[in-house]
Amino acid sequence: MAKGFPFVSSCLRGCLCIIVTTVPVFALSCNRETASTGAGKPTVALVLKTLNHPFFVDMRRGAQEAADRLGVALQVQAAEREIDVEKQMQIVENLIQTGIQALCITPSGSREIVSVLVKARDAKVPIVVVDTRLDGKAAADAGVQPATFIGSDNYQGGKLAGEYLIRASGGTARVAILEGIPGHETGDSRLRGFRDAVKGMPGMSIVASQPANWERDQGFNVFQNMLQAHADIDSVFACSDLMALGAIEAIAAAGKTGRIRVVGFDALDDAKKAIAAGTMAASVAQFPSEMGRVAVESAVKVIKGETVPPDVNVKLELVTKDNVK
Amino acid sequence: MTSTATTVQADQADVSTKPPAPPRSHSLLLSARQFGTFIGLVVLCGTLWILTPHFLTVSNLLNVAEQTSINAVVAVGMTFVILSAGIDLSVGSMVALAGVVLGTALQAGEPLVAALLLSIATGLACGLANGLLVSWGGLPPFIVTLGTMSIARGAALLFTEGRPVSGFDASFRTLATGRAGFVPAPVIAMIAVYLAAHFVLTRTTFGRYVYAIGGNEEATRLSGVAVRFHKTMIYGVSGLTSALAAVILTARLNSAQPIAGMMYELDAIAATVIGGTSLMGGEGTLGGTLVGALIMGVLRNGLNLLGVSSFLQQIVIGGVIVVAVLLDTLLKRKNRG
Repeated sequence: MAKGFPFVSSCLRGCLCIIVTTVPVFALSCNRETASTGAGKPTVALVLKTLNHPFFVDMRRGAQEAADRLGVALQVQAAEREIDVEKQMQIVENLIQTGIQALCITPSGSREIVSVLVKARDAKVPIVVVDTRLDGKAAADAGVQPATFIGSDNYQGGKLAGEYLIRASGGTARVAILEGIPGHETGDSRLRGFRDAVKGMPGMSIVASQPANWERDQGFNVFQNMLQAHADIDSVFACSDLMALGAIEAIAAAGKTGRIRVVGFDALDDAKKAIAAGTMAASVAQFPSEMGRVAVESAVKVIKGETVPPDVNVKLELVTKDNVK
Repeated sequence: MTSTATTVQADQADVSTKPPAPPRSHSLLLSARQFGTFIGLVVLCGTLWILTPHFLTVSNLLNVAEQTSINAVVAVGMTFVILSAGIDLSVGSMVALAGVVLGTALQAGEPLVAALLLSIATGLACGLANGLLVSWGGLPPFIVTLGTMSIARGAALLFTEGRPVSGFDASFRTLATGRAGFVPAPVIAMIAVYLAAHFVLTRTTFGRYVYAIGGNEEATRLSGVAVRFHKTMIYGVSGLTSALAAVILTARLNSAQPIAGMMYELDAIAATVIGGTSLMGGEGTLGGTLVGALIMGVLRNGLNLLGVSSFLQQIVIGGVIVVAVLLDTLLKRKNRG
């Protein structure tokens, strides 16, 4: 029962704790992506929703290329999970402490993130909002005025998908919709655009519409359940390709490959392969690397005191079997 | 491993037979066992001070304290539960549920105090339900709280139809944005919760029973302690602190999200075990938990300041958790061997 050497044990424990906590920090500091004190170079921060989605990985690539070309240091940070707006707030707070000259951000929550953008404003850090718009009212109430917004018009994208489905089906279809996380500006806009496109068409009926929270496995499960309830579904619109790819697996599992038209959003590489293979009909392409590039370019202009347009629309394109690369 | 557990229990049985007796090193917030973790925190801060000029500034330290406050408050309840040799996986979901109740009540025009009480009552009720199922239902805490994790999350989503409730008036937001002098309100709330909980844990019979139940539940029961009642209360404490964290989080985000608080249980467990609390129960202090939460907060902050890739950050934090507990276990074995 020797609790015998509390002092010795506590010293030992102390030493070991020191090693545990400091060694990784030292090791990683040699490995950091950009020097936070970047010798005279202005530092632009890019805070993404997450880095485990190809969309944001592409965006980072575009941003990095622009940063290298313009000679600015780029700090890229992201939360572990796309919906973790509290973690994203912490990252922004921490980056403000490092004295960044501009902040590019893809908000994880269009209302929630405003509270931390107030801190950026107070620290006189210009804000470039990318991909997901801030909630207009929340931003106005807090007095947050981003320098510019860079993104695609998701509403138009949804409309593009709806119009395609009307053309492809000849105006008669029984449609299932896989929604993103409810209350998410991006998904809601795509959904609104799609619904508005098919609204006037009596032959287009939406038989089911359920959230699959942007995820591939949930897209699979939710669509499988929809097929159980409505065996006559002949078209699917998924608010993102990951959910569409999940639905394609569910269609294959039900032995209905080729008999259900799947339209997705984002034109991910996997989706393009599926379109080329004929298992998917179309996807609305966004150009995230283009967004990243324009975001960094705009941030640099703002730092130099040049004017930037308040809204930059990055093009959208419908990818089908005819134009898939 | 088994021999360690037995030793802990035997050790604690002594304490449990004379419940009012204070813990081994009660006079300090940090007992000898947590002292090492504290040195770890100090040296971590020193290292970051050398590596980046942005770390050791008043504004950044307050920033870290504010960011740590939510996890630290959730970890108070977790420490009570783990000290009693239980586990509470439902804290994150209780944060979400208490948060949306608070948000909805505020939006419905309820007075601030009523909304706060309603939210705290929600958290407390969930916690007590956990406690009843564990103590009177005789179910393993892991299973009960896993169930509540899903039930409370589902209830929060159902209650709000999946949408965040946002936009509150300035008086409520003061709870997150306000400052006393230069100290942010969430930090003051955190300190208040720790002082109160530390008092309960070290100066009341309930606190002594928490240790006794975790050390040796059977011996505690045989010495005439109402174990079931106290266990229920322990889970109630966890629900209570989750609700308090929900208040801070909701004010901070200016929004109550039904998807808030995911994985908070893991952060709270990590803070507790890094702080030296034994998962076997019966050993640990709140001071240690606070230091554990601060180590996690400082690590995240420091890695952000250094611009370390977010993927590497996860590896580092995971590594620190595992190695901290490994050291704890090795040292205990060594001391007893």
